[in-house]
Order: sequence, then C-alpha cells, then structure tokens
Amino acid sequence: MGEFEVHRVRFFGLVPAGVRCLAYQRRAGRLALARTDGAVEIYNFGANYFQEKVIPGHETRSVEALCWVTGDRLFGAGLSGDITEYDLARLCVSHSVDGCGGPIWSMEANGSGTQLAIGCEDGSVKLFQIVPGGIQFERNLDRRKGRILCLSWHPSGSHIVAGSIDIFHVLDVSSGLTVQTVMVNYHVQKVKRECIVWSIAFLSSGTVITSDSFGRVQFWDWEQGTVQESYTVSASSALSLAVSESEDSLIVGTSSGATYQFQLLPVKMDSQEKRWVRTKPFQYHTHDVRAVAHSSTALISGGLDAQLVIRPLMEKVGKKSYDVALRKFTFPHRRLVSCAKKARLLLFQFSQHLELWRLGSTEETGKDGEVLHLCRMPEHLVQLKSKGPEHIYCSCVSPCGSWVAYCTASRFHLCRVQCEGNSISIKKVPKVPKLLLPAYQLQFSSNSRRLFIASARGSIHVLQLLEPGGCTHLHTLQPPSGSPEAVYLLASSTDGLWLAAVGGDWVIHVYDLKYFKHHCTVPTYNCAVTALAIHPLINTLVIAYSDQQLFEFSILKKKYTSWSRMVQQRGLHKAWLERDAPITHITFNPKKPSHILLHDLYMFCILDKSLPLPKNSTLLMNQNTLKQLPETARKQELHAFKICKKFQPLLFADLLDENCLVVVERPIMDFKTQLPLPIQQKKFGT
Amino acid sequence: PDSSEDEAPEEVAFGVAKEAAEIERKLVGEAARRDRELLKEKRRRRQELFTEQKVRGPFTYATVLSPCGRTVLPPHLTSLSLAETEASPRGRPTGAVCSTARTVRGRSGRAGGAGMSIGNYMAVCLKDQSVTGLHQQLAKDFLNTQLYGPGTNRVQANEFFSLENKKNPVKKAAVQFVDKSWG
Repeated sequence: MGEFEVHRVRFFGLVPAGVRCLAYQRRAGRLALARTDGAVEIYNFGANYFQEKVIPGHETRSVEALCWVTGDRLFGAGLSGDITEYDLARLCVSHSVDGCGGPIWSMEANGSGTQLAIGCEDGSVKLFQIVPGGIQFERNLDRRKGRILCLSWHPSGSHIVAGSIDIFHVLDVSSGLTVQTVMVNYHVQKVKRECIVWSIAFLSSGTVITSDSFGRVQFWDWEQGTVQESYTVSASSALSLAVSESEDSLIVGTSSGATYQFQLLPVKMDSQEKRWVRTKPFQYHTHDVRAVAHSSTALISGGLDAQLVIRPLMEKVGKKSYDVALRKFTFPHRRLVSCAKKARLLLFQFSQHLELWRLGSTEETGKDGEVLHLCRMPEHLVQLKSKGPEHIYCSCVSPCGSWVAYCTASRFHLCRVQCEGNSISIKKVPKVPKLLLPAYQLQFSSNSRRLFIASARGSIHVLQLLEPGGCTHLHTLQPPSGSPEAVYLLASSTDGLWLAAVGGDWVIHVYDLKYFKHHCTVPTYNCAVTALAIHPLINTLVIAYSDQQLFEFSILKKKYTSWSRMVQQRGLHKAWLERDAPITHITFNPKKPSHILLHDLYMFCILDKSLPLPKNSTLLMNQNTLKQLPETARKQELHAFKICKKFQPLLFADLLDENCLVVVERPIMDFKTQLPLPIQQKKFGT
Repeated sequence: PDSSEDEAPEEVAFGVAKEAAEIERKLVGEAARRDRELLKEKRRRRQELFTEQKVRGPFTYATVLSPCGRTVLPPHLTSLSLAETEASPRGRPTGAVCSTARTVRGRSGRAGGAGMSIGNYMAVCLKDQSVTGLHQQLAKDFLNTQLYGPGTNRVQANEFFSLENKKNPVKKAAVQFVDKSWG
C-alpha cells in the first residue's frame, strides 16, 4: 500500500460551543439544536443522524429556547428579548420580533403548533399567533413577580404552567388569569437559598412535573397544590426535563452531566395503579446538561461539553442491532479545514476568525511508527479576524495558497496572500461582485484561477480570479428545475471542466464548466451526501452518503461505474456501515489511480479499487493483522479497505503528495479545559 | 468613671465666644444664601426650557449617534447654556423614545458640543440599546450566579479530570497542565 510521512497536526484550537437547546420534531424525525454561541443545527435522524443544516451563530444572539411550529417552521428566543424565525432553506435568520418583555427565558408551542407562549424576565407570559410569514402578538397573560424561567402547555391548550423562583403558576389560557400558585419550597426546612424551577412539564392527566436547583424532580397535583412524589436525583441542579409523547417516560438532565430516565410503571404486575419511578441513570456528559429531548424511541441530551448524545431505548426499538447503539456527536459533520497542497498551508475556520498555518518540514526518514524531528516548525502565518458580530459560514484557501476566501451571513471576503520568504502580506480584494449572501461552501479550482461559491436556491456562482488581486463574476449555474434549498457541497475536477454540487434536497447536479451548462443529474439516492470529490484522471464522481454508502459515478458516461455497481451488489462490510461518523472528505492519489482516500472522525481509509471487497466474515480493519503476516500470506488476505485508526478525533486528512499525508486531530481533552467549569464529582475512595 | 465629668467647663472669654458665634452665623447664612441662589437659578433655567419647549413643540429634536459614538447636536439647541448642551447628549442616548424618523428644522447652528452638522438632515431614533443591554446583563448575571456562583460546587478542570483518571479501570496519573492558566 505504501508508506507515508504523516504531518500530525494538533494545533487547530477548535473549541466547540456547548449545547443549549434541543427541539425534536417527530413528524420529520429532525432535531433542532442551539449552541451557546447562537448557532442552530438540524440533525436528520432518518439519515443516520446526519447534521444536515448549520446556521452559524452571532455575537449577540443567545438562544434560550427553540420550538418547532406548524409548517415545519423553527423559532428561537433568547436573552436579547427577540423571537426569531430561522429560514431553513436559506440558513439564516428569517425575521425577528421583539417580545417586549425583556429577556426571554422560555418559549413553548401549543399542541397544534399554532401558538407560541413566551416566559419573560418581567414575569409575564405572552401569547403569539403563528401567521404565514411571521408571528403576531396575541395577548399578555396574567403577570406575576419573578422571571418566568420555564413553561409548558397542557396538551389540550387550556392551561399553561410557568416556573419561576420558589414557585410555579398555573394560568388559564382563555381568561389569562392565574388559577393556582404553588410554592415549591414550603416543606423544606431552614431554606437558606432560593429554589429555582429550571424546567417544567404539564401532562394531560393534570400532573405537573418540575425539576429544580435542589436537584429534585417533583410531581404535583396543581389543583390541590400538593406534591405527589418528590425524588432527589442529584446534589446539583436538575436543569432540564423532557417528557415523551406517550407521557410514560421522561428524561432529566443535571448540572453534573448525569441524565436520568423516569418511567410511569404499574405498582404491581397487572395493576391499574401507576407510579413514576426513576429507572435508568446515565453519565454521558462531563458538564451541565442544559437541554434534553425525548423522541418515541430515544433519550436525547445535549451538554455544555458540546456533546449531543442519543440513547435509543432498546425496549422501543426492538431488535438488538446497530439501531440501538449509543450515538455521540461533538464535532461538526463538515470540514472546517482546507488545505493548499502545493504551498503546504492549512486554513482553520473558527467561528469568528481564520488561521493560516504553514506545515513544518523534516529532512529525516524513518520506519513505521517512528517520530521524525522537524527541521522547521509549523508556523502560524496569519490570523484573519472577521469584522462584525456575524459568525463565519464557510472558508477556503486556494491550492496555490495565495487566495483566501470566507463568508459570513451578510459579507463575502476575498483576500490575496503573498508569502515572500519570512514575511507575509494579506490584501483584501476590494470590489467583489454583489451576490445573494450567505454562501454555504467555497471551493477554488485546482489551478487557483476560479472560485466557486455555493449559494441559495441550488445556484453556484463562478468567479474568475484576476492578477494581481481582483475578481469578476463569470456565471451563475442553476439546476434545471430549480430548488428551494441551498447548495452545501461542491467538487470540481482537476482539469477544470466539471463541477458537482449537492443541495439540501440531496440531488447531485454536475455542470459543464466549458459551456456553463447543466450536464447531468446523479440518480437520486434518498440520503444526505456527506462528501463529494472528482477523480483527477478518470473524472468519476465519488460520493459518500450519511448511511455510509459509497458510489462512483462516471461523469462522461452519465452513469454509475461498474465498480460502483459491484459494490452495491456485494454490499459494503457490516463494520463499515456501522460507523458512527460520516465521511467528511474524499481525495485521491494522482500517482495511484485506483486509490480513493476518505476519512471520518475516527479513521482514515485508503480504498484500493483494484483489490477485492472484504466479505462480512473477514475482518474489516485488518491492517495490524496484515503487518504480522509474511509477504505471501498477506497477498491472500488483502482487501480493498485499508483503514488506519491511529489518528483520532480526525477533523481533516489529506494527501499532500504521493508520500506525504497531513492529519488534523483535535483531542477532546485539549478543549475540555476551555469549557465552563464542571461540577465536582464525589467518588467513594477518592 | 470619666474624669473629665468632674472638671469644671473651660473658661472662655466672652468676647472670643461672641466672635466665634458671629463667624459661624455668617458662614451658615452664606451657605443658605448660596443654596437659595442655586435653587433660584435652577428654577429659572427650567422655566426657560419650558417656555422654549412650548414654542418648539414636543419631540422636535433628537440627537443622532454618529457611527463613531459622538453625538451630533441639532443646530437649534442653542438657547440652552453650554453646560446643559453638553449634559443633554450624554443623557439623551439612553432616553430616546421616539420610534419614527423626523426631519429636524435646520436653524443656524452654533459651533460647540461634540460635533455639528448644519442644515437639514434626517434624525433617526434608535432602539433603546442600553436598557436592553442592561436587562440582558442582569439576566446573564442571574444565570451565572445560579450555575457558577457560590455554593455550586464547581471545580477546576485538572481536578475534575484527575479524578476521572483515578477512577478508570487503568489508573493514570493526575492531570497537571503545562499551561497553569488552564487550571
């Protein structure tokens, strides 16, 4: 297979933002997630939990609540006091309305998704109507003293329960009056500190469930104002609560990172009487779990450790298979690193700045596994700060390393980079064409003469780059029948003749760049595309899907290649299909045409099309075994997938030249220190 | 027992005491007079402002925050004394309440204040940024105190992860960061 000199890069200082809100939409099987930096992400559960959409954050945006409403519309609200609708096709804020109650702590949609109730800093609960194109203020409900930290609609829409400090209120929606106020602390002796009701839920039976800062989960009869059950699950705050639709299971998230499941179970076998019982404890997070959700088959939690954890419930899923596997996501499902191969530069994308680094070099050679000494250290050449509060959508460096482009929600920047010996200069290209922003993906052509900009409604802009530092708009490519969704992945051929693009509708279009026309559409495969690349020599398009399927499509012949059809017929190895992370990058080795290099978060793989495919009975990750076999025996065991799991978590891997690889890792421990402080864990014997 | 209580009071000459009382009376009188004057002045100024506002009509002016943060005074804020002119822009940005743009009547301007633009221009009231900001800050402070304040049992990163290392089946050494600022 070959020996590679590996540039092992660990200086990408990415610190993912913590998960703040979760909202599961059952109908579409999608989860909306908001982070502490204001970014909003959509995970498609049906497409193997792929992070299909990302709306980057904003310096001033704080999202405290996220709601799906009728029509698959997504709303968020936060401490800025605004209710924001997110445009999921254009991946930006659609519009914002001032709630007029100060900072908004909570927001919930009623059962039918036609109304929004917000809980405000000033103690009021306000109702808004969902109307086409926006929301309309309906009325204020009874205002009480104390900020409304959480609220919940009764499934019938008749009442709303609002949690505050030391109390919760029950409001009658039609009259707007407070019909009950319950003190959550009355029976606690010698109360020195206030009890914050962090989360609340209203069941159809009339039971109100609260989780509070004393680590308690309490079940109340609101009409009597009495507590039915009280469980202390944690010494730290119980921050979040979510009940399943069938109202027989709930998940609680705590400050210590632990989550607990409660279930409504019969007291005795075949008994009609049921009680809520704490069933399963989980410790998947190291930091506060501020958001939880409950789908019909899984418990979902998001922590300030930036992890999204999906725990399918075996009893709900049924068979013991990969479907029941625990899924954990920390890093984005898209590339944040681009590489200028010839110049040996790496561009790292942060939320508000970019870093351009030059790789180090070595004069030594060595054996497998040896660490070589660098004669020149990696250099941080330039830091490009994005002006303004908007976070960066996408960025790219040209293969020659002399152009850098990036885009925010409202601005597109193109810069010329000049490296002269030890000095480096960056000059912004002044007049860039006016385009509909934001852009979702940027890609330079392999000769660094053109820039492709993925835009809204399936269109791609082609810019011609001019010396010494300018650009003109050449053409805008559009799919033949139009598309409401934005393009999020691009791939251009090395000869500059072809461009492949895929948008939110999962349809891959191939464009002819010589005549600027649509060439063909790849047959639809009902799954999200996670990576795309065009072979430099034979112009085949290699596609990786979120269900881990791989396809190879011949652009010239406009059909799948015979190898691809063979792979589909034989099927991919079970261990390949049961990988947790999507393939985020595909590249090739020009000196070895039958090789395809791809990687996900935990492995990189050199796929050799000339070798046989592995059978399910053989070991997929057999590199270590092969090393120990003698030469002759090795030849019999060889199969197409050569997988290396040495470098993890892998944010990027690429071939710099035929003998040189670069891998960018981000060890989890390296950023955990930069997260907010965790709760002390008291353990026996320590 | 306080020994000074047994002693007779100090002997003071009558003349000295009289003079001292005189001086004190004068000082107090002057202070009172100053206060009265100040009050009169304040009342006079306020009266002037009211009469002027009556003539001008309500909401006929607004200060505009220029991009660099300095306030640009409309030309007709000339009847106010310099001290007040300088005071009002500082107070005004936080109190702007009108929500529509109004054309300011351009009168001949007087040089002064932070910066002047002469002639007709459009003044726009901005959303009350500082009050929103204040509320947001209060809310964030509340959250911080509740989650990370005293009594929340938070711990530094190295202590937290050292514990993990000790609890693991394969025990590892405690975590000590090379960069001490990491905790």
